Amino acid sequence: MIPITWYLALSAVLFTIGVVGVIVKRNAIQMFMCIELMLNAVNLTFVAFSSYFGDVTGQLFVFIVMTVAAAEAAVGLGIIIAIFRNRESLDVDDASVLRL
Amino acid sequence: MWNLLPSISQLLFVVFGAMALGCAVALVAQRNPLYSAISLVGVFVSLACLYLTLQAPFIAAIQVIVYAGAIMVLVVFVIMLLNVEDEVRRPVRLHYLIPVGVLLAAVLIGEAAFMLQLGNSGPRGFEPAQTAGSDVGLTASIGTGMFTKYLLPFEVTSVLLLMALVGAITLARQGRTPLLAAPGNVTEEPAVLTAGGELVLKPGDTAATGRAFAREQISRGDAAAPSNVTREEEEGR
Repeated sequence: MIPITWYLALSAVLFTIGVVGVIVKRNAIQMFMCIELMLNAVNLTFVAFSSYFGDVTGQLFVFIVMTVAAAEAAVGLGIIIAIFRNRESLDVDDASVLRL
Repeated sequence: MWNLLPSISQLLFVVFGAMALGCAVALVAQRNPLYSAISLVGVFVSLACLYLTLQAPFIAAIQVIVYAGAIMVLVVFVIMLLNVEDEVRRPVRLHYLIPVGVLLAAVLIGEAAFMLQLGNSGPRGFEPAQTAGSDVGLTASIGTGMFTKYLLPFEVTSVLLLMALVGAITLARQGRTPLLAAPGNVTEEPAVLTAGGELVLKPGDTAATGRAFAREQISRGDAAAPSNVTREEEEGR
Protein backbone atom coordinates (compact mmCIF):
# COMPACT_ATOMS: atom_id res chain seq x y z
CA MET A 1 0.00 0.00 0.00
CA ILE A 2 1.26 3.42 -0.84
CA PRO A 3 1.55 5.74 2.16
CA ILE A 4 -0.88 8.64 1.95
CA THR A 5 2.06 10.94 2.57
CA TRP A 6 3.21 10.35 -0.98
CA TYR A 7 -0.06 11.58 -2.39
CA LEU A 8 -0.10 14.58 -0.08
CA ALA A 9 3.46 15.51 -1.01
CA LEU A 10 2.70 15.20 -4.72
CA SER A 11 -0.41 17.32 -4.26
CA ALA A 12 1.53 19.99 -2.37
CA VAL A 13 4.19 20.16 -5.07
CA LEU A 14 1.57 20.37 -7.84
CA PHE A 15 -0.24 23.15 -5.96
CA THR A 16 3.02 25.03 -5.48
CA ILE A 17 3.80 24.77 -9.19
CA GLY A 18 0.34 26.18 -9.88
CA VAL A 19 0.92 29.10 -7.51
CA VAL A 20 4.28 29.83 -9.09
CA GLY A 21 2.66 29.74 -12.52
CA VAL A 22 -0.06 32.20 -11.55
CA ILE A 23 2.54 34.57 -10.15
CA VAL A 24 5.10 34.22 -12.92
CA LYS A 25 3.01 33.97 -16.08
CA ARG A 26 1.70 37.08 -17.82
CA ASN A 27 -0.55 35.44 -20.36
CA ALA A 28 -4.12 35.38 -19.00
CA ILE A 29 -4.88 31.95 -20.47
CA GLN A 30 -1.77 30.42 -18.95
CA MET A 31 -2.64 31.92 -15.55
CA PHE A 32 -6.06 30.38 -15.97
CA MET A 33 -4.55 26.95 -16.67
CA CYS A 34 -2.33 27.25 -13.59
CA ILE A 35 -5.46 27.87 -11.51
CA GLU A 36 -6.89 24.66 -12.95
CA LEU A 37 -3.69 22.89 -11.90
CA MET A 38 -4.15 24.14 -8.33
CA LEU A 39 -7.74 22.88 -8.28
CA ASN A 40 -6.51 19.48 -9.45
CA ALA A 41 -3.90 19.33 -6.72
CA VAL A 42 -6.63 19.90 -4.13
CA ASN A 43 -8.74 17.22 -5.82
CA LEU A 44 -5.88 14.75 -5.44
CA THR A 45 -5.80 15.43 -1.71
CA PHE A 46 -9.55 14.93 -1.46
CA VAL A 47 -9.47 11.61 -3.29
CA ALA A 48 -6.46 10.38 -1.32
CA PHE A 49 -8.13 11.05 2.03
CA SER A 50 -11.44 9.68 0.81
CA SER A 51 -9.84 6.46 -0.32
CA TYR A 52 -7.72 6.01 2.77
CA PHE A 53 -10.47 6.67 5.27
CA GLY A 54 -13.09 4.75 3.34
CA ASP A 55 -15.45 7.72 3.25
CA VAL A 56 -17.16 8.80 0.07
CA THR A 57 -17.51 12.45 1.13
CA GLY A 58 -14.16 13.48 -0.30
CA GLN A 59 -15.04 12.19 -3.73
CA LEU A 60 -18.35 14.07 -3.61
CA PHE A 61 -16.43 17.24 -2.91
CA VAL A 62 -14.19 16.46 -5.86
CA PHE A 63 -17.31 16.30 -7.99
CA ILE A 64 -18.40 19.73 -6.73
CA VAL A 65 -14.92 21.17 -7.24
CA MET A 66 -15.03 19.97 -10.83
CA THR A 67 -18.37 21.73 -11.31
CA VAL A 68 -16.90 24.93 -9.90
CA ALA A 69 -13.94 24.52 -12.24
CA ALA A 70 -16.26 24.17 -15.22
CA ALA A 71 -18.18 27.30 -14.21
CA GLU A 72 -14.89 29.10 -13.70
CA ALA A 73 -13.76 28.01 -17.16
CA ALA A 74 -16.89 29.42 -18.78
CA VAL A 75 -16.82 32.77 -16.98
CA GLY A 76 -13.04 33.11 -17.01
CA LEU A 77 -12.72 32.47 -20.71
CA GLY A 78 -15.57 34.94 -21.31
CA ILE A 79 -13.60 37.55 -19.39
CA ILE A 80 -10.46 36.69 -21.32
CA ILE A 81 -12.29 37.11 -24.64
CA ALA A 82 -13.68 40.47 -23.47
CA ILE A 83 -10.21 41.66 -22.43
CA PHE A 84 -8.76 40.57 -25.76
CA ARG A 85 -11.54 42.35 -27.64
CA ASN A 86 -10.86 45.61 -25.82
CA ARG A 87 -7.08 45.59 -25.72
CA GLU A 88 -5.93 43.27 -28.52
CA SER A 89 -3.66 41.57 -26.03
CA LEU A 90 -3.79 38.85 -23.40
CA ASP A 91 -0.91 40.23 -21.37
CA VAL A 92 -2.23 40.99 -17.91
CA ASP A 93 0.22 43.88 -17.59
CA ASP A 94 -1.69 45.58 -20.40
CA ALA A 95 -4.89 45.22 -18.41
CA SER A 96 -3.64 46.59 -15.12
CA VAL A 97 -6.17 49.44 -15.04
CA LEU A 98 -9.92 49.14 -15.30
CA ARG A 99 -10.37 51.96 -17.81
CA LEU A 100 -9.30 51.74 -21.42
CA MET B 1 -4.96 -7.36 -4.39
CA TRP B 2 -3.12 -4.10 -3.80
CA ASN B 3 -1.70 -5.37 -0.56
CA LEU B 4 -0.20 -8.34 -2.33
CA LEU B 5 1.55 -6.24 -4.92
CA PRO B 6 2.96 -3.23 -3.09
CA SER B 7 5.84 -2.82 -5.45
CA ILE B 8 3.62 -2.56 -8.53
CA SER B 9 1.29 0.00 -6.98
CA GLN B 10 4.27 2.04 -5.84
CA LEU B 11 5.76 1.77 -9.30
CA LEU B 12 2.51 3.06 -10.79
CA PHE B 13 2.47 5.95 -8.35
CA VAL B 14 6.04 6.90 -9.17
CA VAL B 15 5.46 6.69 -12.93
CA PHE B 16 2.25 8.74 -13.00
CA GLY B 17 3.39 11.12 -10.30
CA ALA B 18 6.55 11.87 -12.23
CA MET B 19 4.46 12.32 -15.36
CA ALA B 20 2.16 14.77 -13.56
CA LEU B 21 5.11 16.70 -12.16
CA GLY B 22 6.88 16.88 -15.50
CA CYS B 23 3.78 18.05 -17.32
CA ALA B 24 3.10 20.64 -14.59
CA VAL B 25 6.62 22.03 -14.89
CA ALA B 26 6.24 22.11 -18.68
CA LEU B 27 2.93 23.94 -18.25
CA VAL B 28 4.65 26.75 -16.40
CA ALA B 29 7.81 26.74 -18.50
CA GLN B 30 6.17 26.94 -21.92
CA ARG B 31 5.77 30.30 -23.61
CA ASN B 32 3.22 29.20 -26.18
CA PRO B 33 -0.24 28.84 -24.57
CA LEU B 34 -1.12 25.93 -26.83
CA TYR B 35 1.83 23.86 -25.60
CA SER B 36 0.82 24.77 -22.05
CA ALA B 37 -2.66 23.44 -22.76
CA ILE B 38 -1.26 20.15 -24.05
CA SER B 39 0.92 19.86 -20.94
CA LEU B 40 -2.15 20.47 -18.80
CA VAL B 41 -3.93 17.61 -20.58
CA GLY B 42 -0.96 15.42 -19.61
CA VAL B 43 -1.38 16.47 -15.98
CA PHE B 44 -5.09 15.64 -16.10
CA VAL B 45 -4.56 12.20 -17.62
CA SER B 46 -1.81 11.24 -15.19
CA LEU B 47 -3.94 12.45 -12.28
CA ALA B 48 -6.77 10.28 -13.57
CA CYS B 49 -4.40 7.29 -13.48
CA LEU B 50 -3.45 8.23 -9.91
CA TYR B 51 -7.15 8.25 -9.01
CA LEU B 52 -7.34 4.72 -10.39
CA THR B 53 -4.51 3.66 -8.11
CA LEU B 54 -6.56 5.17 -5.27
CA GLN B 55 -9.50 2.94 -6.28
CA ALA B 56 -11.68 5.84 -7.35
CA PRO B 57 -12.76 4.84 -10.87
CA PHE B 58 -15.70 7.25 -11.07
CA ILE B 59 -13.57 10.27 -10.27
CA ALA B 60 -10.96 9.06 -12.74
CA ALA B 61 -13.59 8.80 -15.47
CA ILE B 62 -15.06 12.25 -14.92
CA GLN B 63 -11.56 13.67 -14.60
CA VAL B 64 -10.89 12.56 -18.16
CA ILE B 65 -14.36 13.44 -19.46
CA VAL B 66 -14.89 16.81 -17.79
CA TYR B 67 -11.35 18.16 -17.43
CA ALA B 68 -9.40 16.67 -20.30
CA GLY B 69 -12.47 16.62 -22.50
CA ALA B 70 -14.73 19.58 -21.92
CA ILE B 71 -12.67 22.23 -20.15
CA MET B 72 -9.52 21.74 -22.20
CA VAL B 73 -11.47 21.79 -25.45
CA LEU B 74 -12.90 25.13 -24.32
CA VAL B 75 -9.43 26.47 -23.49
CA VAL B 76 -7.90 25.28 -26.75
CA PHE B 77 -10.86 26.74 -28.63
CA VAL B 78 -10.26 30.15 -27.05
CA ILE B 79 -6.53 29.94 -27.78
CA MET B 80 -7.26 29.18 -31.42
CA LEU B 81 -9.97 31.84 -31.59
CA LEU B 82 -7.79 34.62 -30.23
CA ASN B 83 -4.70 33.59 -32.21
CA VAL B 84 -2.45 34.21 -29.24
CA GLU B 85 1.22 34.85 -29.87
CA ASP B 86 4.04 33.67 -27.67
CA GLU B 87 4.59 35.41 -24.39
CA VAL B 88 7.11 38.21 -24.67
CA ARG B 89 9.85 38.41 -22.09
CA ARG B 90 9.83 41.64 -20.17
CA PRO B 91 12.19 42.96 -17.53
CA VAL B 92 11.20 42.16 -14.00
CA ARG B 93 9.88 45.28 -12.32
CA LEU B 94 9.88 44.23 -8.68
CA HIS B 95 13.39 42.94 -8.01
CA TYR B 96 13.10 43.03 -4.27
CA LEU B 97 10.25 40.53 -4.32
CA ILE B 98 12.43 37.66 -5.58
CA PRO B 99 14.32 36.95 -2.31
CA VAL B 100 11.07 37.45 -0.38
CA GLY B 101 9.35 34.89 -2.59
CA VAL B 102 12.19 32.38 -2.22
CA LEU B 103 12.12 32.82 1.56
CA LEU B 104 8.36 32.32 1.75
CA ALA B 105 8.56 29.23 -0.48
CA ALA B 106 11.26 27.73 1.76
CA VAL B 107 9.11 28.36 4.83
CA LEU B 108 6.10 26.77 3.16
CA ILE B 109 8.04 23.68 2.06
CA GLY B 110 9.58 23.29 5.52
CA GLU B 111 6.17 23.58 7.12
CA ALA B 112 4.64 21.01 4.77
CA ALA B 113 7.52 18.59 5.32
CA PHE B 114 7.20 19.00 9.08
CA MET B 115 3.48 18.32 8.97
CA LEU B 116 3.90 15.25 6.79
CA GLN B 117 6.64 13.93 9.06
CA LEU B 118 4.41 14.54 12.07
CA GLY B 119 1.60 12.65 10.40
CA ASN B 120 3.86 9.72 9.70
CA SER B 121 5.38 9.36 13.13
CA GLY B 122 2.74 10.62 15.49
CA PRO B 123 0.27 8.51 17.43
CA ARG B 124 -2.53 9.47 15.00
CA GLY B 125 -0.68 8.34 11.91
CA PHE B 126 -2.38 7.85 8.61
CA GLU B 127 -3.75 4.36 8.46
CA PRO B 128 -5.68 3.16 5.46
CA ALA B 129 -9.12 2.32 6.75
CA GLN B 130 -10.36 0.91 3.50
CA THR B 131 -10.80 -2.79 3.08
CA ALA B 132 -10.40 -4.58 -0.20
CA GLY B 133 -14.11 -5.14 -0.83
CA SER B 134 -15.20 -1.55 -0.20
CA ASP B 135 -17.51 0.15 -2.67
CA VAL B 136 -16.23 3.65 -1.90
CA GLY B 137 -15.41 5.32 -5.18
CA LEU B 138 -17.88 3.37 -7.26
CA THR B 139 -20.58 5.28 -9.07
CA ALA B 140 -23.39 3.80 -6.97
CA SER B 141 -21.97 4.93 -3.63
CA ILE B 142 -21.20 8.41 -4.97
CA GLY B 143 -24.71 8.77 -6.39
CA THR B 144 -26.25 7.57 -3.14
CA GLY B 145 -24.28 10.08 -1.12
CA MET B 146 -24.99 12.88 -3.56
CA PHE B 147 -28.75 12.45 -3.56
CA THR B 148 -29.27 11.72 0.12
CA LYS B 149 -26.81 13.32 2.50
CA TYR B 150 -25.41 15.97 0.20
CA LEU B 151 -28.52 16.95 -1.73
CA LEU B 152 -28.30 20.63 -0.76
CA PRO B 153 -24.73 21.15 -2.06
CA PHE B 154 -25.77 19.39 -5.24
CA GLU B 155 -28.68 21.80 -5.79
CA VAL B 156 -26.54 24.81 -4.92
CA THR B 157 -24.08 23.58 -7.54
CA SER B 158 -26.80 23.62 -10.16
CA VAL B 159 -27.65 27.23 -9.24
CA LEU B 160 -23.95 28.05 -9.58
CA LEU B 161 -23.89 26.53 -13.05
CA LEU B 162 -26.89 28.61 -14.06
CA MET B 163 -25.19 31.77 -12.84
CA ALA B 164 -22.03 30.86 -14.74
CA LEU B 165 -24.09 30.29 -17.87
CA VAL B 166 -25.73 33.71 -17.66
CA GLY B 167 -22.43 35.39 -16.81
CA ALA B 168 -20.55 33.77 -19.68
CA ILE B 169 -23.20 34.76 -22.21
CA THR B 170 -23.29 38.34 -20.91
CA LEU B 171 -19.52 38.64 -21.03
CA ALA B 172 -18.85 37.07 -24.37
CA ARG B 173 -21.49 38.55 -26.63
CA GLN B 174 -20.80 41.46 -28.92
CA GLY B 175 -21.47 45.00 -27.72
CA ARG B 176 -24.18 45.69 -30.32
CA THR B 177 -26.97 45.95 -27.79
CA PRO B 178 -28.65 49.05 -26.36
CA LEU B 179 -27.20 48.12 -23.00
CA LEU B 180 -23.60 48.18 -24.13
CA ALA B 181 -23.64 50.66 -27.03
CA ALA B 182 -22.91 53.75 -25.00
CA PRO B 183 -22.05 56.95 -26.92
CA GLY B 184 -18.38 56.21 -26.28
CA ASN B 185 -18.61 53.17 -28.51
CA VAL B 186 -20.19 55.09 -31.37
CA THR B 187 -17.22 57.23 -32.28
CA GLU B 188 -15.00 54.35 -33.29
CA GLU B 189 -15.23 55.34 -36.98
CA PRO B 190 -15.34 59.16 -36.97
CA ALA B 191 -14.79 59.53 -40.72
CA VAL B 192 -18.02 57.75 -41.47
CA LEU B 193 -20.02 59.24 -38.67
CA THR B 194 -19.29 62.85 -39.59
CA ALA B 195 -20.24 62.17 -43.18
CA GLY B 196 -23.54 64.00 -43.36
CA GLY B 197 -22.95 66.84 -41.00
CA GLU B 198 -26.49 66.82 -39.67
CA LEU B 199 -26.37 63.32 -38.21
CA VAL B 200 -27.31 63.53 -34.54
CA LEU B 201 -26.07 60.71 -32.40
CA LYS B 202 -28.41 59.30 -29.84
CA PRO B 203 -27.60 56.84 -27.09
CA GLY B 204 -28.05 53.45 -28.63
CA ASP B 205 -26.61 54.40 -31.99
CA THR B 206 -23.84 52.19 -33.25
CA ALA B 207 -21.27 52.40 -35.98
CA ALA B 208 -23.71 50.56 -38.20
CA THR B 209 -26.13 53.48 -37.84
CA GLY B 210 -23.49 55.91 -39.02
CA ARG B 211 -22.56 53.69 -41.92
CA ALA B 212 -26.18 53.40 -43.03
CA PHE B 213 -26.56 57.18 -42.79
CA ALA B 214 -23.46 57.78 -44.92
CA ARG B 215 -24.64 55.26 -47.49
CA GLU B 216 -27.98 57.03 -47.71
CA GLN B 217 -26.24 60.37 -48.23
CA ILE B 218 -24.12 58.97 -51.03
CA SER B 219 -27.03 57.29 -52.80
CA ARG B 220 -28.86 60.65 -52.79
CA GLY B 221 -25.86 62.22 -54.52
CA ASP B 222 -25.17 64.54 -51.65
CA ALA B 223 -22.09 66.57 -52.55
CA ALA B 224 -21.40 67.26 -48.90
CA ALA B 225 -20.32 63.69 -48.35
CA PRO B 226 -16.57 63.60 -47.80
CA SER B 227 -14.48 61.98 -50.43
CA ASN B 228 -12.98 59.33 -48.18
CA VAL B 229 -16.42 57.82 -47.58
CA THR B 230 -17.11 57.55 -51.30
CA ARG B 231 -13.72 55.96 -51.77
CA GLU B 232 -14.56 53.38 -49.14
CA GLU B 233 -17.84 52.68 -50.82
CA GLU B 234 -16.20 52.25 -54.21
CA GLU B 235 -13.64 49.89 -52.79
CA GLY B 236 -16.44 47.91 -51.32
CA ARG B 237 -18.03 47.27 -54.70
